[in-house]
Amino acid sequence: MKTPRILNAESIEIEERAAPPLERIKPHKWLSEEDLREYSTQERNGFELYVSRIAEEKMRNHSIRYAGEQKEAMGLLLGWVYKENGRIYSLVKDIVTTDLESTFVNVRFDRGAFEKLFQALEDAGFNYIVTGWYHSHPGHGCFMSSTDLYTQRTYFGDRAHSAIVIDPMNMEIKAFYLEGKRIKNRIFAIYWDEYENPYYGTCVRKKVIKSNPNRVSPTE
Amino acid sequence: MTLELPTVCDIMSLRVKVRNAESGATVEMELESENTIDDIIEGAAGYWEKDAGAYVLRRGKRLLRGQQTVAEAGLLNNDELELIPDPEGG
Repeated sequence: MKTPRILNAESIEIEERAAPPLERIKPHKWLSEEDLREYSTQERNGFELYVSRIAEEKMRNHSIRYAGEQKEAMGLLLGWVYKENGRIYSLVKDIVTTDLESTFVNVRFDRGAFEKLFQALEDAGFNYIVTGWYHSHPGHGCFMSSTDLYTQRTYFGDRAHSAIVIDPMNMEIKAFYLEGKRIKNRIFAIYWDEYENPYYGTCVRKKVIKSNPNRVSPTE
Repeated sequence: MTLELPTVCDIMSLRVKVRNAESGATVEMELESENTIDDIIEGAAGYWEKDAGAYVLRRGKRLLRGQQTVAEAGLLNNDELELIPDPEGG
């Protein structure tokens, strides 16, 4: 039996595209004072990570829900990578997750719940790259543990990849990335733009119009 | 005496495309029906210099199990598969 043979390979070309404008970004409300100062410094030059309001809300709510059970939450960041004036940046449009095997200090996807995760990927509704991952540290602060570092090095070693860590009990959030072998703090912005919303124009609720047969139309 | 003739699946090779979810890159692979899902993961992860044991492979919403052969998994010519990271946080 032969081993599988690679016939050809393709990589994506990073497209030039303007980052979300200043009037459509803001710092996360859980940033530390030090990170907020850094945010102000970087704001005009642009960031390397922009997280949509939808993705941010989902991550935060997920983390809060699991914190109630004294457990860590986790999921994958979905988006794309662009460049602007030579600066490569990631746009996180949404997140996906599934059932978890989780404790107060450890988390991974439930071995029996991958299909739920894959269904979420199928339902994403846009072309995506997994631009990183998020997980929570309920009550123990935002840092990269040795397990987190292993994960970052194994999967997300590219500079464009990010790890978002959320402590919902202390209302803290931080993003990290790898530069060579060193882990670094990444300042990021929250963006909102209807047209960037991957679900823009998608009707989520059917409007039921009840007609009143006795009502006379104003045009009549 | 009956002769056991090889089925089409036994003798044909097939091509699949594997996408790296972390980068959007793809590889096209030629497989034989006896190749396993682990062979595919190792081939693709090896090409991208990744740790094969750390990934799972999906076809649509279905998880492809490592020890299954291509024939058992029901893979078809020109199928598109995706290599998904399986992270752990602590």
